[in-house]
Amino acid sequence: MSAGGRAALAMGLLALGACGKLQNFGGPEPPLVSFHARFDGDLAPLRPAGVTSERSLRLALVWGAQWLTEPFCVLPPESSEVAAVIAAGCRDPFGFVPSRVDASVALLPGEPVTLPLLQLPTADVLVGDVTARVAYGSLVVFDDRDGSDTLELSFPRRGPIGGPGGGPRVNPDVTDASDIVYGASFVTMTVPDQRVAYREGGFNENGAFYPRAGCPAPAPAFSIAAAGGFSAPAALAATLAGTLPAEDPATCSDGAPDAIEVAIPARAPAEVQEVSCDERSVTGAPRYREPPVEEPDFTDRKVACAHLPSFDTGGGLGGLLGGAGGAGGAAGAGDGNAGASQLQLVVSGRPTDRCKGVTHYVLRGCREDQSCGLPDWDYTADPTTIPWWPCPR
Amino acid sequence: MAKRDQDGAVIRPRASNARGPVGVRSRVRPVTVGLIVTLLGAGGARAEGPPRTIDQLAPVSSRGPLLLDAGLSLALPATWQTGLSTGVEVGAAYAWGRALVVGARLSWATASESSLAWMVTHQDLRPRLTAALQRSAGRGVFALRLGLGPTVVYERRVRNQGERAGLTGSDLATSTWTTLPAGELEGVVGVHVGGPWLLVLAGGPSLLLADGAFHGGWATQLAVGWQP
Repeated sequence: MSAGGRAALAMGLLALGACGKLQNFGGPEPPLVSFHARFDGDLAPLRPAGVTSERSLRLALVWGAQWLTEPFCVLPPESSEVAAVIAAGCRDPFGFVPSRVDASVALLPGEPVTLPLLQLPTADVLVGDVTARVAYGSLVVFDDRDGSDTLELSFPRRGPIGGPGGGPRVNPDVTDASDIVYGASFVTMTVPDQRVAYREGGFNENGAFYPRAGCPAPAPAFSIAAAGGFSAPAALAATLAGTLPAEDPATCSDGAPDAIEVAIPARAPAEVQEVSCDERSVTGAPRYREPPVEEPDFTDRKVACAHLPSFDTGGGLGGLLGGAGGAGGAAGAGDGNAGASQLQLVVSGRPTDRCKGVTHYVLRGCREDQSCGLPDWDYTADPTTIPWWPCPR
Repeated sequence: MAKRDQDGAVIRPRASNARGPVGVRSRVRPVTVGLIVTLLGAGGARAEGPPRTIDQLAPVSSRGPLLLDAGLSLALPATWQTGLSTGVEVGAAYAWGRALVVGARLSWATASESSLAWMVTHQDLRPRLTAALQRSAGRGVFALRLGLGPTVVYERRVRNQGERAGLTGSDLATSTWTTLPAGELEGVVGVHVGGPWLLVLAGGPSLLLADGAFHGGWATQLAVGWQP
């Protein structure tokens, strides 16, 4: 056979042998990972008042935010009124704070459910640089009351804001989402948790993003990481010592999502609904507000006058240590809020609010800094401008 | 009689070089002896034949019936209605008389496109048997060429973000081969640029049968031809 004939034969065999089916861009889209969970418990006694049944129970993956609590909430309170505001207005400083709600699927109590994930977590939920970054998520069970097929996050409802020159300013009244949270695999670091971990590159433990000191680093890509949790006083003490609170290594685990079924017990919404409370500021810096001229309606809110936090007098650290070491921060060796002379009016949210939050009013200051050199507002000179101001001027 | 150089080779008349622009001469004041000799030699040849202008085209030496060409191929990817498949193409054609040309061609081209889930790469291998009707006009050759044959498609699909998610094996990527009947109807323009060499441009619609349906497309070619 000539060379041309052999080439033609080879071409023909190749053509005949290629009989597969092209998929192009179609066909099923396999998930990047699937999480398996099981939600157990009787919801009837846990339902909020006025709710008689579940509309649509769903399981959602919620990625966590890197959030810092504000100093006011962790420093020992200077008075019982301030303690009441902290109790009513400060969220768990070690709790899971949501950043973004990812995929969700319908579930039935007592039956296993699989949550497929078709997209990687976006860069804004990854903490660290491009060579070592990690994202943590919580599997949240919720009743999709609004039928949106996803979990809507809520925000704390702050008090009204004064306008420029004391005039009124529109304060968008945040409304709470109607979805009801009945459970989550990761609620707070002070109790055992099972969290979804996604790691790219190395792992920087000093990143202190929902730390699990003492546990092995989560495996690259997706995994289900578990930890036993640490106590709040131990966490405060470790923070002051410049370290991370240690987990009991015996409680640590990290495994492939396919091999682990995450158990989510049913809990009262009041215990777990904070996992659906977003925060507008994640830096830990409080936002100060200009008091309105007209007296705001503080009905059902806790109100107190408090010194602005100061960390340059030694009182803050001493008070924190006292609060961390003793029973009850209010009875600590000192308080960290008594260092500054200017007083602020702190106001909690209402008991009916879904998310806790504290509103800080000052007579003089800027939104991000109460001691700014060129204040955005200053009512200290004229006592009649804010006649309802309850704190010493 | 043609003038010969010292080695006995014929010196072609180059009338344009005999004069040379004044500006050029002034810029190359340190003229070499060799250049002077060349100028003088060319001046001597001028008297033995008609001067030839500098933009005169090179003579064409193509006489045979065989034409080989090779060049770049651009086409719409097989089974896609988007993207650009780029590759190479070779072909051979044999003139059967003055108007009919038969031949064979082979092209390979590849294209990659993405969706939210997939990065898909197609490699298209197109062997074709061709028949063309051609007509010459001056240095140009114009033809209408019909090519028929299978299009062998190698498809590789990679799950987007799959490597970052830790996927491996068939969860990460799949590949398959398939063969589809296809054909093209192309207009071909060949220009003899000198000696046996041609510049060949071709392009036209294509038709491919896949999954029981015809898919239209197009194919183009930019090639260099050789016709001894």
